[in-house]
Amino acid sequence: MNPRAGQEGANAQLGRHVRLVAGKEMVFDSENFFWDHEDWSEEAARELAREAGLEELGEKHWRVMRFFREYFLYNGRAPLNNQLKKGTGLTLLELEGLFPGGIKHGARRLAGLPNPKTCN
Amino acid sequence: MIYLDNAATAFPKPAEPLRRALEEYLQAGASPGRGGYDLAVEAEYKVEAVRRKLCRFFGGGQGWRVCFSYNATDALNTLILGLTQEPCHVVSTRLEHNSVLRPLHHLAEQGRISLDLVPFNSQGYVEPDALAGALRPNTALALVNHASNVFGTVQPVAEMAALCRERGVELLLDVSQSAGLVPMKLEEWGVGGAAFTGHKSLLGPTGIGGLVLSPRVDPLPTRYGGTGVDSQSLAHTMDYPHRLEAGTINLLGVLCLGESLDYLATPGHQQALSREGELWARLRDGLAALEGLELYRAQGPGERLPLLSCNIKGMRAGDVADILDGDFEIAVRSGLHCAPLLHQDLGTSPHGAVRFSLGAFNTDEHIDAALQAMGRIAATAAAQGR
Repeated sequence: MNPRAGQEGANAQLGRHVRLVAGKEMVFDSENFFWDHEDWSEEAARELAREAGLEELGEKHWRVMRFFREYFLYNGRAPLNNQLKKGTGLTLLELEGLFPGGIKHGARRLAGLPNPKTCN
Repeated sequence: MIYLDNAATAFPKPAEPLRRALEEYLQAGASPGRGGYDLAVEAEYKVEAVRRKLCRFFGGGQGWRVCFSYNATDALNTLILGLTQEPCHVVSTRLEHNSVLRPLHHLAEQGRISLDLVPFNSQGYVEPDALAGALRPNTALALVNHASNVFGTVQPVAEMAALCRERGVELLLDVSQSAGLVPMKLEEWGVGGAAFTGHKSLLGPTGIGGLVLSPRVDPLPTRYGGTGVDSQSLAHTMDYPHRLEAGTINLLGVLCLGESLDYLATPGHQQALSREGELWARLRDGLAALEGLELYRAQGPGERLPLLSCNIKGMRAGDVADILDGDFEIAVRSGLHCAPLLHQDLGTSPHGAVRFSLGAFNTDEHIDAALQAMGRIAATAAAQGR
């Protein structure tokens, strides 16, 4: 039995939806951010990247996503802008151009971090 | 770091007024108006002195009242809820901040008010005739954002107030952005009152704001509690200022505000204010010259505050702000600026825009650095074919 089946009503009410990504059912929010960061996998990131128009994930993409994830898992929050720059060795301008959707809706989303929900 | 987010909160704050207030607080920080011992009475005198100072600052007249709150949102809630206890009609605008829109939306959802929100024109102003045209016989109040926190446009409130009063309606203002930048003349303008916050251009700390009200405007209390007066009665007092101030007020915030008002009048600060207009023009002209950048309502006649909103083609406002912060150490505000209907009408929803808002401590060098950074971001976006 699908453990998430009973939550469908609540998900819909909160703008969440369940999708099959990389062979696994996962919950996403209304802006297609992972609802549960533990659902993330490299294969899921690849599939979502292809969906966003990024056919191949290169070394810089993985460097950014790994930094996001490691920082988040260790600190329980996303890195600050200057930490992101220092930690990836990339300018944010360069980073923004690497991911369709930019920094937040591109890189951060593909790295599986929660939607910050700030109004920017 | 270059701080260009003064419309959110002024930073840095001048240190001396805050230090003087802290000293006063350390010496007389007893509970104002609670207790007959000298220290409490002295604290109350200090609060009353700041009330009088605020009333003068805002151009209130004989019999006008000043009631403290935590911020403008708190003051606006007090005002809106207190004036809509009976079913009625309210007029406001699509320029408003959520501090006005959300309480009004809540009341409308509950069926307690009917609501009309007047649109703004192509230059970011609300036409006084359009506002007057929305008034009905049962309109209890008209509430207008004196200066837009996205466009910086200052509304022609004296003209609006005259049209409202012809129809027996009081015009009330949200002066969160304008107080400290535009000379306040509430009585002369003919408005019924205003809600303000201390932490923006009044240069006070966060956590203090208030209402300045004409004797014609009498909101009912919507919070009840200790006031230090009429304690034998279980009903909340109807006397001002306690009528709208339940519980002990933020004394340190009040003292800071009093000191900040003195600072605002100094020649040095007045000179800084006049410089802000020049810096704004420098920023506007520089941004307007960039390819792939769209400025919103930054041209045209009328009074304006020193802030500008824009977008770079093909880039999300939030990312532009992150790049400015992370790569160039420039702090700006992106997103909807808590003004969702404005951005909806502007066509910039849901991602909003990038806002630069200047303050008394900004310099030519800050503006040039911002222009250089925006130029580089816009050029990169253009080179990527966006």
